[in-house]
Amino acid sequence: MKKTMTKIWKSYSIGVVVVIVGIVLSLLTPRFMSMSNLLNVMTNASLVAIMGLGMTLAIASGNFDLSVGSTAALAGCISFSLVPSIGVPASIVAGLAAGAIVGFINGLIITELRVPAFIATLGMMTIIRGVALIYTDGKDLYLFGQTEYKILSGAYLFGIPTPIFFAVGIALLLGFVISQTRFGRHILAMGSNLSASERSGIPTSRVLWAIFSIVGATAALSGMIISSQVLTANGRLASGIELSAIAVVVLGGTALSGGQATMVGTLLGALLISMVNNGLNLLNVPIFYQELTVGVLMLGALAVNISQGFDIRSLFRRQA
Amino acid sequence: MSVANQTEETSLSKNLDWDVLWERYGIAVVLIIGWIFAYFFVPKFSNPDNMLNVIRQSAFVGCAAVGMTVAIISGTFDLSVGSTLALSAYLGVMVVSRTENIPIAMLVTVLVAMAVGAVNGFLITRVKIPAFITTLGMLFIVRGLSFIISKGGEPVRYNGKAFTWWGNGSLFGIPTPFLVLVICALAAWFILTRTAFGRYVFSIGTNSNAAKVAGVPVDSTTSWIFIVVGLFTGVSAFLIGSRLYSAGPGLEPGFELNVIAAVVLGGTRLAGGRGSMLGTVAACILYATMGNVLNLLHADAFFQRVAVGLVLLLALSIEGIRQRMFERASRQISTAE
Repeated sequence: MKKTMTKIWKSYSIGVVVVIVGIVLSLLTPRFMSMSNLLNVMTNASLVAIMGLGMTLAIASGNFDLSVGSTAALAGCISFSLVPSIGVPASIVAGLAAGAIVGFINGLIITELRVPAFIATLGMMTIIRGVALIYTDGKDLYLFGQTEYKILSGAYLFGIPTPIFFAVGIALLLGFVISQTRFGRHILAMGSNLSASERSGIPTSRVLWAIFSIVGATAALSGMIISSQVLTANGRLASGIELSAIAVVVLGGTALSGGQATMVGTLLGALLISMVNNGLNLLNVPIFYQELTVGVLMLGALAVNISQGFDIRSLFRRQA
Repeated sequence: MSVANQTEETSLSKNLDWDVLWERYGIAVVLIIGWIFAYFFVPKFSNPDNMLNVIRQSAFVGCAAVGMTVAIISGTFDLSVGSTLALSAYLGVMVVSRTENIPIAMLVTVLVAMAVGAVNGFLITRVKIPAFITTLGMLFIVRGLSFIISKGGEPVRYNGKAFTWWGNGSLFGIPTPFLVLVICALAAWFILTRTAFGRYVFSIGTNSNAAKVAGVPVDSTTSWIFIVVGLFTGVSAFLIGSRLYSAGPGLEPGFELNVIAAVVLGGTRLAGGRGSMLGTVAACILYATMGNVLNLLHADAFFQRVAVGLVLLLALSIEGIRQRMFERASRQISTAE
C-alpha cells in the first residue's frame, strides 16, 4: 500500500504541480485563464515538448542527444530554402528527413565508432551548427508571401492549433510505442542494462539508430515550427535549446539513469515551464527572471521527487 | 588452440598499451605535429607574435578546463561553469570598476565562483540530486541571477592598465594568461598526484562504491571537487573579464560544453578514473591553434565549428575503431581453427 502510494505520487506529482500552479496563477492574474492565453501557453510549451518527447526516448535508452538544437536549425533552414522549388509539403518532409538523417548519423557514430553518446552528440552539435551556418551563409532566410508554411504554427487541426496537435499526437504515439511495442520494450531494456540486452539478442545497434533518427525528426519538427512562427529561419535558430529539452524531460519524471519513460510527464514538464514563464510575464516580472525559474523548478521538483531514497511524506511526519 | 590464445593475449596487452599511450600523450603529439606543419606551411603562423597569441588564446578556456578535468576524473561533470563564469566575471569587473583594487576584484571573482561550486556540492551530496541535474539546474539559475543582478544585461566596463594586463599583457615575453594556465595546471597536477585528496578523486572515479567501502570520504571529496571547479572557473572568469575590458551577464553561452570538449579531447575519460592534465592543456592549445590556422587560411568562420567538432569525434573514435579491429581479428583467429 505504502509502495503503491509512493508510486502513484511519483507518476502524478508533476500533474498535481501543474494544477496547483495553474490555480495560483489564475488567482493572481485573471488574464491567465483566458482561452487565448491558455492556447498561447500550450503552443509555447509544444515547441520544446516536441523535441523533448524524442529526447525522452533517448534518455529512456540511457543516452542523450545534445545535437537537437543544431538539428532543429539545420532542418528549419533546409526546408525553408526548398520551399520555392518543391513547395511547402515536400519541403517539410525534406526537413524531417534531414533531421532523421542527422539522428541516424549520431547513431552510427555511437555504435560503429564506439564514441559515447554524450561526446558523439556534443561533437555533432558543433558540426551541424556549422553546417547550418554554412548552408545559409550566416544569413536569414525569409518566406515572403509563402504563408502556406504557417500551417505548422498558425493553423488549426480539428480545432486545435497545430503545434499543440503535434505535441499531443507525438506524445500519444511515442507513449504507445514505448509501452506496447517490442521496439519500446527493447528501448527500456537497453536503458536498464545494455550488456544484458545485447546478450539476450536485442539488436541494440539497430534500435539505437532508430531512437536517434526519431530524436532527429522530432527536433527537426520543433525547428520548423519555430521558424514558421516568424517565417524566418537562420543558422542560429534554437541555440542552447538542447539543455532546456533535457530539463523538460527530467522535470517530467523520466530518470536520467534510463530504463523508464513518461511521455505525459514530458508534456507536463514543458507545460509547467511555459505556464510559469507566462505567469511571470503577465505579472510584469522582468523577462530575465525566467531562466532562474526553469532552474529552480527543476531542482525543486528533483529535490522532492526524483532523488532516490527520499520520501516526501517524511516532511509531514514528525513523531515517527 | 593454445597458440591462438597466446597470440590473442599478447595482442590484447599490446593493444592496451597503445590505447593508454594514445590516451595520455596522443593529443600532445598531435599538437606538436600540428605546430610543425603550421610553422612551415601556413603563412604568417611562424610569426612569434602570432604563436604567442595562440597560447594566450588557449588559456581562457584552459583554466576552467583544468578544474573540469578534476571533476571528470572523479566521474562527474559540471554543466554550470558557463553561467558561473558570467556571474563571477560580472561581479569581478564591477568591483574593480568601483574600487580600482585588483586583488579584491580577483578575490571576489574567485570566491563567487567557488560559492556556486559549494552550492553544487551541497545539492549533490546532501540533497542527493544527481550531479548532471544539479549542475544543469544551476546553469539556468546562475545565468538568471547574473541577468537579475545586472538588471537586464548591460555589461560593466573597466580599462585600467593594471587590470587589463592580466588578460592582454605579458611577463618575460610570455602572455600572462598562459602563465596563469601553466600555474593552474601544475597546481592541479600536484593536487591530483601528490595528495590524499587527489587519490580520493581517482578512486571515486574508478569505483565510487568501492571507494566508500574503503573509507574514502566520498561526500566531502565530491563537495570539494565542485569547489575546485569553481575556483578554476573563477580564474578563467577573471582572465576573460580582463581580456575583454568588460563583462556582461550573457558572456560565453555554451562555454560549459567547450570546456568539457577540451577535457575529453585531452584524453580524460568521461567514465572517470583516468585523465591527464597535460592532455587537457594540449587540447586547449590545439583548439586555439586550429582556430588561428583556419583564420590565417581565411577559412569561413562557420567552417571552424565543423572542424572543431570533427577533431573531437575523430580523436574519440580512434580508440573505438581499434577496439573493433581487434575484435574482428580475434574472431578471425577463432574461425581459422
